[in-house]
Amino acid sequence: MQVLRYIGRRVLFVVPQLFGIILVSFFLVKLIPGDPAVMMLGPTASEQSIADLRDKLGVSKPLVVQFGRYMHDVVRGDLGTSWQTTRPVTEDLFQRFPATLELITLGLLVAIAIGFPLGVAAARRKRGAVRRFADYYGLLAGAVPDFWLALVLIFVFYTLLGWSPPPLGRIDMAVIPPPTITGSLVIDSLLAGDLRALLSALGHLLLPVLTLGVINAGPILKMTQSTMERTLNSEFIRYAETCGLPRRVVLRQAVRAALPSVLTIVSVLYGFLIGGAVLVEIVFSWGGAGQYAVQGVLNADLNPVLGFVVFSAVLSLVIYLIVDLLYFALDPRMRG
Amino acid sequence: MIPVAVSGDRAASPWLRRLRFLAAVLRARPAFALGYAIVIGVILIALLAPWIVPYGPMVADPNVYLLPPGPRHLLGTDGTGMDILSRVLSAPRVDLTIAVLGTLISAGIGSCIGAIVGYYEGERTWRRAVSTAVMRAADVLQAFPVFVFAIALVAVFGQSLHSIIIAIAFVNTPIYLRLMRTQVLAIRRYRYIEAAYVAGASDLSILARHVIPNAIAPALAQLSVNIGWAILLTAGLSFVGAGVVAPTPEWGSMIAMGFQNVVTGQWWPSVFPGIALGLTVFGFALVGASVEVLADPVRRRVLSGTLG
Amino acid sequence: MRETFGRSANLSRRSLLKAGSGAAAGALLPSALPTNPAAAATPGTLVVAAPATPQSLDSNFDVSLGTFEAVAALYDNLLEFKKIPDPKVPGAFREDIADHPDKPGGVNVQGKLAESFELDPNGTWIRFQLRKGVKSNWGNELTAEDVKWTWDRKFGLKAIGGFYLSTLGLEKPEGVKVEGPYTVSINLDHPNPLLVKLQPNLYAPIYDSKKCKEVATADDPWARHFIENNSAGFGPYRLDQLQRGQQAVFKARPDYYLGKPAMDTVIFREVPTSATRAALLQGGAVDIAQYLQPLEIVRLRNQQGVKIDSVDASFMIWLELNSKIAPFDNVKVRQAMNFAFPQEQVLKTVFQGLGEPLHGCMPNIYAGYTDKFWTYNYDPERARALLKDAGFPSGFKTSLAYNAGDPVQEPIAILYQTALRAIGVDLQLKKVPAATFYDAVSQRKQPMIFYVDSPWCPDVGYSMTLYFNSQSFIDYSNYKNDEVDRLLRDTARTADQAARLEMMTKAQQIVMSEAPWVFIAFPGYHFAHRAGLEGFTYYTSNNIRFQDFHRAA
Repeated sequence: MQVLRYIGRRVLFVVPQLFGIILVSFFLVKLIPGDPAVMMLGPTASEQSIADLRDKLGVSKPLVVQFGRYMHDVVRGDLGTSWQTTRPVTEDLFQRFPATLELITLGLLVAIAIGFPLGVAAARRKRGAVRRFADYYGLLAGAVPDFWLALVLIFVFYTLLGWSPPPLGRIDMAVIPPPTITGSLVIDSLLAGDLRALLSALGHLLLPVLTLGVINAGPILKMTQSTMERTLNSEFIRYAETCGLPRRVVLRQAVRAALPSVLTIVSVLYGFLIGGAVLVEIVFSWGGAGQYAVQGVLNADLNPVLGFVVFSAVLSLVIYLIVDLLYFALDPRMRG
Repeated sequence: MIPVAVSGDRAASPWLRRLRFLAAVLRARPAFALGYAIVIGVILIALLAPWIVPYGPMVADPNVYLLPPGPRHLLGTDGTGMDILSRVLSAPRVDLTIAVLGTLISAGIGSCIGAIVGYYEGERTWRRAVSTAVMRAADVLQAFPVFVFAIALVAVFGQSLHSIIIAIAFVNTPIYLRLMRTQVLAIRRYRYIEAAYVAGASDLSILARHVIPNAIAPALAQLSVNIGWAILLTAGLSFVGAGVVAPTPEWGSMIAMGFQNVVTGQWWPSVFPGIALGLTVFGFALVGASVEVLADPVRRRVLSGTLG
Repeated sequence: MRETFGRSANLSRRSLLKAGSGAAAGALLPSALPTNPAAAATPGTLVVAAPATPQSLDSNFDVSLGTFEAVAALYDNLLEFKKIPDPKVPGAFREDIADHPDKPGGVNVQGKLAESFELDPNGTWIRFQLRKGVKSNWGNELTAEDVKWTWDRKFGLKAIGGFYLSTLGLEKPEGVKVEGPYTVSINLDHPNPLLVKLQPNLYAPIYDSKKCKEVATADDPWARHFIENNSAGFGPYRLDQLQRGQQAVFKARPDYYLGKPAMDTVIFREVPTSATRAALLQGGAVDIAQYLQPLEIVRLRNQQGVKIDSVDASFMIWLELNSKIAPFDNVKVRQAMNFAFPQEQVLKTVFQGLGEPLHGCMPNIYAGYTDKFWTYNYDPERARALLKDAGFPSGFKTSLAYNAGDPVQEPIAILYQTALRAIGVDLQLKKVPAATFYDAVSQRKQPMIFYVDSPWCPDVGYSMTLYFNSQSFIDYSNYKNDEVDRLLRDTARTADQAARLEMMTKAQQIVMSEAPWVFIAFPGYHFAHRAGLEGFTYYTSNNIRFQDFHRAA
C-alpha cells in the first residue's frame, strides 16, 4: 500500500515538472532561427503560399498562443509533424526510441559488467595492480570522447581485424528485419525465431555497445569502489568480521549494502544516455532518437526536438520511478 | 615509508609546509604528479602557442595537402594543407578558454545562487518560496538531455565562442547550485553563524564572510573535473557542426574535419587531435581527483598517515 | 527548370550530419569491405545508395535530389533528346543537345508520349500527335485531356510549374488546346525559342488526369496529397514503397509502352554519408553510389569491380557576390575577389583534378558558351591594385557562408580565406546546416555564399536569364545591369538562333567583366557504379534514370 501511495505522490509531483520542461524547451526551441514554412515549401514558393502555410502551422501567432496550442495537442498525444520526415513526430519517436533504448540498455549492462566487479575488487585491496588499474581506468574512461573511442574501435575491430560488420545502422542491408513488436531488433528477431536477423543485429550492436560500455564503466566503477570502501569500513561489517563470519559472507553483505548507490548511478547514467549517446549513434548511423533530435535542432525542425525532450523527460522519470521501486526491494528499511 | 620533511622543519612558514606536503603527496601518488604535469604543460602550450608553432595554425597551403607525418610536418598536414602539429598546439587556446570560462561562470553563478537558496531555505517567508522555485527550476534544467540542450543553445545564440561558453555555463550551473546549497544547509546550523547573526551582521555579510568561504571546498574540487567535461562537450559540439567556426584550431572540429580523409587512408588529421584531447581531459581529471583527496580531511589524514 | 545540387541543401534535409560528423561512420571503412553480393548481384534488382530519399514526388513542389530520380522513373514526357554515345566514356550515352539548325526548333528530339509534332516556324505554336494505346500505372489510356490537365495544374498551383509558364510566355490556360482525342497544341502570344527545347525537361512530365481527378477533393483539387506520396503517370516504373529517410522501392511496369525495363526492382536506399556510400559500392552491396566526394572517386577509380564514368556536365559551382551589400556593390572589388581566388589550386587539391575551371558564366557544354572573356587568372598583385582603386587599400572584413552538407565547400573556403589574407581581406567563414542552406541563399542577405547549380534546359538564353536577369528569382547575387536585362528579354522573344547567340555573347561579355560571382569550377558528373552495370546516360538534369540500365551478359 505504502508503495502505491508513494507512486501516487511521485506522479503528482511529476506533472508540474513535465510542464516546466515543456515550457522551457518550447520557448528555447522557438528562439532557434529558421522559418519552417520556407523550408517546407522550397525555393519556388510564392510569398502568398508561405504566408498561408505559416497561418496553417500557427507560427505567425504570438508565442504564448502557440504554446497553448502545443500543450493542447501534447495532452492528446500529438507532438506535431516533422518537416524533414513529413511524418508525425510521435510515430517517428516510437520508431527511433527503441533503437536508442536497445543500444543504451545493452551498453549499460556491459558497463556494469566491467565496472561493478572491478570496483568490488579494487575496494578489497588498498594497493596492487588491480587497484592501480581501477584508478587509472576510472579517470581515463571519463577523459576519452565517446565518438573518438567509437572510431578507434571501428578502426581496430573492423578495419584491421575484420571481426565486426560495417558500422552502418542496426542490421545488415541485405537482411530483412523481423516484424516490429517491441522495436528492439534483438527481441523481435528472437520472437520471430529469425536467427539470421538476430546474428546480424547482435553483430551491429557489438561496437556501439562496447563503446558505451567501456566509457560508462568509469563512473560505475568509481561509485562501486567508494561505497564498497565505506561499507567495508562501516560498523556492521566490522561487527560481522568480529563475529568471525567467513570473508565470503561478509563480502556478500557489503556488496548488498552497496547496491542502492550503484543503482542510483546507473539510473543517472541511463537518464543521461537517452540524449547523451547521440554522438555514438551518429558514428554508427544508428537512426536513434538522439540523432533525430540533433538533426531537428540543426535544421530548424522544431517539433522533433520538442517531442524528443518530452519523450526523454517522461522516460527518465519512469526510470527514476523504477529505481525507487527497486530500492524498496533492496532495502528492508524503506519498506518500513 | 617515504621520509618526509614535515617533522624536521617546524619553524618553516605555513606556505612552505604546504608545498612540502604537496611534494610528498605527489611522490606518494605519482599519478597526481602526472596530472599536474599535463595541466601545467597544456596551459604553457596555450600561452606560448604563437611562438612555438612551426606554421600558422590557420594558414592553408594547397601545395602540401594531406602529407603524412614527416620531418617538415611532424604530424602531417590536413586536406587543405594546414600543419596539424601547429593546429594541435594552438587548440588549447580555444578549448581551454571555452572550458575554463564556461566552468568559472557556471561555478560563480551556481555557487552564489546555491548559497542564497541554502541560507534562506526553511524560513517561513517569501524567500522560502523563491528558494523552492529556484530548486524546481534547477530540477527542470537538469532533466534536459544535456547535449541536445547545449546544441539548442548554440543554435539560438548563433555559432560563436560566446555561445559555446554560454551553453557550457548553462548546463553546468545546476551542479554548483546543488553542491553549494547542500554545504550551506549544513554550515548554517553551526554556532559561529548564529553568533554572527546575534552580533547583528547583515545576511549579506554573513553569507560573504562566513558561509561561502566555509562551503566552497567541494565546489572547487568540482572545478577541475568540470573543465575536463567542458572540453569534451566542446569537442562534441564541434563534432556535430555546432561548435567553433572553421578553421579555428579546436580538437573536436579537427577530428570531425579529418574523418573525411580517413576513408582514403589518411588517418593523421583526426587521430592526433583526439590523443591531445584525451590526454588533456585525463590531466584535469587527475588534478580533480587530487583536489578531492586533499580537500577531504579524512582522506587527507589517511594519505598523510601513509606518508608519515 | 534550373536545378540544384546547391539544393544539396535538400539533398540532405534529413542528413545534415553527413558532412562533418556522419562521415565518421564510413570514414574508417577499410579497403577490404566484406563483399556482400546478396543485395547487388540479384540480376533484376538495382540497388542505389543515395544521399536522400525523395522528399515529395510532386515535381511542382519539390527539388530534392531523390525527387529527380523518382520523377524520371515514374513519369514520361512528350519529347526527349535523341541519345548519342558519350565522346569521353565508352559505353556511356548522353543527350544530343547541340544546335541542329536543320531540325524543327533547332534541336534533335524524338517523340516519347507524343508520336510526332508540328512547329510554327515563327515559334508561336506547337501541335502534338499523341501515341495511342499508352497506359498509365493505373491502366488509364493517355489522351489529349491528360496533357491539358497537366498544364492546367501548373496554372492552378503556380509553384514550379509557374516558372515554366513564364519561361514559355504562356499567359492563360486557354493557350493549351485539345484539338482531338490524341491531338493537343500549345499557342503563345509571342514567338518563343524554347517551345521544343523545354518539352524533354525532367520537370515537364504528363500526369494521368483521370486518376488524379478521382483522388482530388474539394480542398485539394490538384491531387497534391496523392502526387506527393504516389504517382499517376505513364513512366516505366511504379512506386512500390516510400519510407522517407530510409528507402524507396520502384517496380518496373510490364505494360510500359516501350517495353518493360531490364531492372525489375529498384531499391533506392538513403545513405547520408558519402564515405559510406563509397564503401557500400566498393563492397558490392550496392550497384550505384551517388554523389561521392572527389577523394573517394579518385580512390574508387583503381578498385576492381567498380567503374567511374566521368562525363562533362552542366553543374557549376561558384560564390555569389551580393551586389547590394558593400563592398561588393563595387565592380572593382568583385573583380579583385576573382583575381585573389586560387582557382588552379582549388581544382588540384579540393577537386583532385576532377573538374574544370569555371571560365564562363554558363555550362560549357551548351551551345553559345564562351570562355573568351575570362581574365581572372590568379593574380594577387592585380587584386591588391584593384582594391586600392576601389578605396580599400588595407582590405576589408566580410563573411562567406557555406553548406555543411557539401564536403567540398569548407576546404575551398579555407583555401580562399588564406589567399585573401594576402590582400588584406579578412574572411570569416559561416557554416550553414544543409537543410537551412537554401534558405540562406534565397534570402540574399549574405555578402558571399556558395552556390552549386545547373540550368536543366540546354539553352544559352535560358541559362543566362536564370542567374543574371534582375527579375529572375534565382538572381541570388542581386545582379542588375539594364543592358543585360534588355538582351535577355530580346533573346527570350525570338526564335532566330543566330541573333540569340550574338546577343548572348554580348551578355556574357558584360557579366564576365562585372563579375557578380567568384568563378570556381565545373565539377563534372561522376557516375560511380559496379562494373557490369551498363547503359549509363547523362542528362542535363544531372540525375540517373533506372530504365537506362541493364547488366552485362
